[in-house]
Amino acid sequence: MEGNGRVLLREVTVRYGRRVALEAVSGEFASGSLTAVVGANGAGKTTLLAAIAGAVSLSGGAVNCAARERLAYLPQLATIDRDYPLTVSELITLGGWREFGAFRSPGAAMRARTTAVAEAVGLAGRLRQPICGISAGELQRALFARLILQDAAVILLDEPFAAVDAQTVEVLLDQMAQWRQEGRTVIAVLHDLDLVRARFPSTLVLARRCIAWGRTEVALSAVAA
Amino acid sequence: MMSAHSLIVEPFETLAFMRAALVACLALALCNGAVGTLLVLRRMSLDGDVLGHAVMPGAAIGFLYAGPSPAWLSLGGLASGLAVAALAGLIAGGQARRDAGLVAFYLVALSLGVVLVAWRGSNVDVMRVLFGTVLAIDQRALLQIAATSSVIVLAIAALYRPLAVGAFDPPFLRAVRARAPYGAVFQALVVLALVASFQAFGTLLAVGPLLLPAAAARCWGLGVLASMALATGFGFAASVAGLLASYHANLPSGPAIVLAAGLLFGISLGATSGVRRLAPMIGREG
Repeated sequence: MEGNGRVLLREVTVRYGRRVALEAVSGEFASGSLTAVVGANGAGKTTLLAAIAGAVSLSGGAVNCAARERLAYLPQLATIDRDYPLTVSELITLGGWREFGAFRSPGAAMRARTTAVAEAVGLAGRLRQPICGISAGELQRALFARLILQDAAVILLDEPFAAVDAQTVEVLLDQMAQWRQEGRTVIAVLHDLDLVRARFPSTLVLARRCIAWGRTEVALSAVAA
Repeated sequence: MMSAHSLIVEPFETLAFMRAALVACLALALCNGAVGTLLVLRRMSLDGDVLGHAVMPGAAIGFLYAGPSPAWLSLGGLASGLAVAALAGLIAGGQARRDAGLVAFYLVALSLGVVLVAWRGSNVDVMRVLFGTVLAIDQRALLQIAATSSVIVLAIAALYRPLAVGAFDPPFLRAVRARAPYGAVFQALVVLALVASFQAFGTLLAVGPLLLPAAAARCWGLGVLASMALATGFGFAASVAGLLASYHANLPSGPAIVLAAGLLFGISLGATSGVRRLAPMIGREG
């Protein structure tokens, strides 16, 4: 993966009406970095991901992301409509959208890749299940499998471990480490600080403003102090 | 004792207006099944209701301009429906208090329409605009309904994947850079479907044949395409039942059709939750 996954924030400010969600956040996610975004509820973590994805309009500043065309975004699991009539296999296959687009059929090669990534996240036996019939952990694994197929240079994850079993957390962490090895930029909103210390090289601490941003131990010690 | 023939076939055999109503309802069931299913999947039932009323002021202006001509009613309704959909989209950009805003639209549009029609027309005209005249559909109106319905069904067939994915996970569609504004396209299709139903069911009832069969079909836990097909079947069954009930029992036909659709929804809801509760007892996996 070529190193174009850099994301540069310059004085990024987002307001919802009068409420300021993000204020003048500046900094850089280096290409191929693995960064945790932490902060209290309402600190603007989800807004930051939306700003990077270009899903909210900025009230000020700029996001510079050359790879915006190759960006993948995983929303919070709770926002996924689990009653929607879709099978695990269909959900994962959507990750290949760039190849088959809105109109063409996914084809046999894509189906084979769906099976392969489903195996990689431990869902091999679940492909034909509807998504309402699997656990929260399995749904998150399926969404990760879809991310693998998306082959993105920048991957944004909003609380990927919320409501997910411990075994699944390990599978997902391994996948994130692999993405980093492949040179992809991974930015994940997280709550569990011990997990962040153990597995994430860099951390951004948000409280609407940027409180600390850098190597995890340094950034988190700034919060504790 | 009535024979099945005189009960079911004869009304349509002898009366041309019953046949026209039946064909119109079939055409409407086809587009309503597809649009309604997507509407229910998007959890946008309230939006559908609001857009149904948004058609009203434009249709009323069409009425003031040209009298009860189906073409002008539809054009006016289409214009105001699309305008309100766009306006609601702009307001929803702010997110806050979205449902209150939608309900405000609903009430203002409805009242404005009634005032406009009553200004120049009679009480009969007001009733016609509110509840439709499914038994007074002439050939021109029938062609118009069939054409609109065909356009909607073809559009959904062509745009099926982005419309279905947009109903499930809009951020994903944005992330893969699907450039066309599929949300807006879908809203336009909803307005078109409501305009097609307007002549037959009026502004108050048009949402019924759109939502009820789709909601009934959704109970059965099928895939998207199968749900659309089942919703179309339910819509048609409700139309036949409602028309026959209105003929034999001398009921107003539009409300009779909507009631039949509501009955199907109730039965679907009851049957599927009953099955879900019974399944473990029979020893099958739930």
